[in-house]
Amino acid sequence: MIRLLLKRLAQGLVVVFVLQSITFFLVRLLPGNPFLGERKLPEHVMAQLNSLYGLDQSALVQYGNYWKNLLLHGDFGPSLVREGVQVADIIAQAFPVSLELGVLGMLVAVLLGIPAGMFAAYRRNRWPDAFFMLMAMAGICIPSFVIAPLAGLSLGMHVPGLSVAGWDDPLCAVLPALTLGLVNAAYIARLTRGGMVEVLSADFIRTARAKGVRPMRLLFVHALRSGLLPAVSYLGPAFAALITGSFVVETCFQVPGMGLHFVNATTDRDYFLIQGLVFCYGVLIVLANLVVDLVLVALNPQLRSQGAA
Amino acid sequence: MPVMEKLQFEQGHSLWQDARRRLLNNRAAMVAAFFLLLMGMACFLLPLLPCVADPNATNLSHIAAGCSWEHPFGTDQLGRDLFARVLYGGRISLLVGLVATFVALIIGLAYGLISGYLGGRTDALMMRTVDVLFALPFIVLVIVFSLCIEEPSRRLTAWLVETTGWSRAAVEPILGLVPLFIAIGALGWLTLARIVRTQTLEIKAKEYVLAARSLGLGHFRILFYHIAPNLLGTVVVYTTLAVPGIMLTESTLSFIGLGVRAPNSSWGTLIKEGADRMEASPELLFFPALCFCLTLLALNFLGDGLRDALDPRSAKD
Repeated sequence: MIRLLLKRLAQGLVVVFVLQSITFFLVRLLPGNPFLGERKLPEHVMAQLNSLYGLDQSALVQYGNYWKNLLLHGDFGPSLVREGVQVADIIAQAFPVSLELGVLGMLVAVLLGIPAGMFAAYRRNRWPDAFFMLMAMAGICIPSFVIAPLAGLSLGMHVPGLSVAGWDDPLCAVLPALTLGLVNAAYIARLTRGGMVEVLSADFIRTARAKGVRPMRLLFVHALRSGLLPAVSYLGPAFAALITGSFVVETCFQVPGMGLHFVNATTDRDYFLIQGLVFCYGVLIVLANLVVDLVLVALNPQLRSQGAA
Repeated sequence: MPVMEKLQFEQGHSLWQDARRRLLNNRAAMVAAFFLLLMGMACFLLPLLPCVADPNATNLSHIAAGCSWEHPFGTDQLGRDLFARVLYGGRISLLVGLVATFVALIIGLAYGLISGYLGGRTDALMMRTVDVLFALPFIVLVIVFSLCIEEPSRRLTAWLVETTGWSRAAVEPILGLVPLFIAIGALGWLTLARIVRTQTLEIKAKEYVLAARSLGLGHFRILFYHIAPNLLGTVVVYTTLAVPGIMLTESTLSFIGLGVRAPNSSWGTLIKEGADRMEASPELLFFPALCFCLTLLALNFLGDGLRDALDPRSAKD
């Protein structure tokens, strides 16, 4: 158990390190630079700016400095485009927004996906199964950037209180979270159905049924635990998908989260901001995978006895 | 002996004969295949006919017109024929989907084959690398990576125009897509590599590979003549299933303005344009989105059908 945890943590550190390194060097290969504005700056101003931010040094020195500042001082550096603003401040502002959106989206996905999948498996090969799986297929094939404008047009315009853009009152989160959740609900429903179908045909379920266990108890107590395994192991990648999926949703609904900042930062070539955001993404994904691993171990005693998986 | 004469020797069925029969009996997969064929022909062949309008020709007296015989899908805010635009956009979307999948296929196949065949420490190292790459936020890297190779690809265009004398207008639209091909392909091979490796490990332990080895065949020959052909079924299935994901990546990038750029347009950019004006003219969103979603749906159904046909053990139920 502890060994598994340590192993995953070590792997997570490698992931964050590799991600950060790849981004660091790729970002510096990008054509253009952060100081290209409407007005072309004179040569000496450009040189001054570069030396102010340490961009005139060699890439390796910059790389070393970046890690030194990050690890020793927790400093992500300044934003290169928005003068006088620290990357850490931008992240501190955007992170809670994205997190709230992600958690709400995940909630929608789980609350829609798991019951749908369970019901489909329970009524396998009958119309509820066909119906829910068709819906799930539609959810997979209709991308969030189609759902988002449609949701805005159909719900946002007609339901009072819902807003189609911005992030100033709690109801603003409804449409983005719904959009984010729907796509993932589809995957979760399919996985839950698959897992449940397999469990429901197992011997111990037949035995339980023969002993006269009522269907609801059979489904929720006997089958659910192992039937959920495939869906739970998907939740780690799903969380990553939620965060990266939020590029589209945050752009569509103008939510000031990390996704919107990231898209703007890449077009602006704001090196430090890109790196800081990517760092956050990496840490989030590693943490999500870690939590999922722990839940999997809790659900599946076989993993516990093996110690490592 | 009369008994012998009565015996009918049944013709054996090869894997592929069985698979074809199962696929032909799968109605959803056949409809999907037919639809894809139709969509492919419409996107690649129909624009060659003179009756399809020029997708970039503006007609300011026909702005945002509804559907008519002349413009089956209506026109956009600049009076461009949406039908032609959807066809040309589909061409780019399908092209990026197929070429990027091909890039991913080559990398994933080679990586998985080598990792599975060598086994041992090399295998462990290669698979840990894949684990690490899997945990990276894919789309973040695609964005950064595709921006990075834009400059080299522009230089390639200039070089091609100079050395071969092809017209810039003919070369540029295709070469402008190269960063996308490479970025999506170079990062989309992970699943395939894992699957190929698992299969290679399985096949490597078969008797006929042992036989080949004891006959003294070289590694290269064993790998490509004895192992690779037996991977074909799995590879076909998972390549088909990878295409929709890759097309989705492309259109997501195009939607947020970091993928296909003007003068090219893909279904992703068309959906973006449509979403911006959907209140005034919803058909601008509707038609590109419909074509895109139906294509993804058909690809998924075809992939599922191929999996059921070629790999009955891993079938859904």
